[in-house]
Amino acid sequence: MSAVTPFIADVFLGAAALFMVLAIALTYRAIKGPTTQDRVLAVNVLGTNTVVVLALLAAALGETSLLDIALIYALLNFLMAVAISKFTVERGGVL
Amino acid sequence: MISAFGAVLFVFILVTALAAAVLRDILAVIIISGAYSLGMALFYAFLLAPDVAMTEAAIGAGVTTLLLLLTVTRTVRQDHNRAIERPNVPALLVCGGFLIVLLMTVAEFPVVGDPAIAWDNPAITQYYIDNAYKDTGVKNAVTAVLAGYRGFDTFGEAMVVFLAGMAALLVLKRGVFTNE
Repeated sequence: MSAVTPFIADVFLGAAALFMVLAIALTYRAIKGPTTQDRVLAVNVLGTNTVVVLALLAAALGETSLLDIALIYALLNFLMAVAISKFTVERGGVL
Repeated sequence: MISAFGAVLFVFILVTALAAAVLRDILAVIIISGAYSLGMALFYAFLLAPDVAMTEAAIGAGVTTLLLLLTVTRTVRQDHNRAIERPNVPALLVCGGFLIVLLMTVAEFPVVGDPAIAWDNPAITQYYIDNAYKDTGVKNAVTAVLAGYRGFDTFGEAMVVFLAGMAALLVLKRGVFTNE
């Protein structure tokens, strides 16, 4: 990956920091609840948020390998939502 | 800008870790542990350790939640009349003491990028390459370090994995879901 100019890297890192502020706001919903569905949805959005932040970090730091982690999260993010949905509907069935 | 990002990331990890520790509803704790794992993966990526971050991503997003949910189905999910767990004072004291001991070691850490760090020293690497076979009788130098020079460490790790596997088998074998 070609390295970006320091100014652009700073812009990317600033955007990533703003996304992390958004993540803290989402954490409020995950902690407060009140229902399990609220929490699952909040953590699901947090996962998507993490994918974006990882992509921004990869661009800003010039580390291509971080994109692989973003891909893993994009692929596995649905697992928790599915597992907890099945758990709440069937009372005990997870897989 | 990189320090601003790091600071916000620290706050996020701290908030999720504390919430996972004090909340009483087990299901909420499992979900928030997922959020904590997201923060830790970002932290490893931030420190440019993509291999660790990748493991955290695969384990944290996939396996841990499923394992914990399976455990909840096979054991008891406690009532959640109170939102916040009452702290256990003796456990808090032990953890606090341990934290202080760990924090005391921080001052001894080498500076990041210090050229005199032990692992970056070619002389030490050469010592293991030269003496590994003579000392341990193992031809592969990596195996010699793992099973010979730090054999007790590896033994402890193997014991932890063995005990964790036994505990998981015991829990999964119960097979009864009691909702009390």
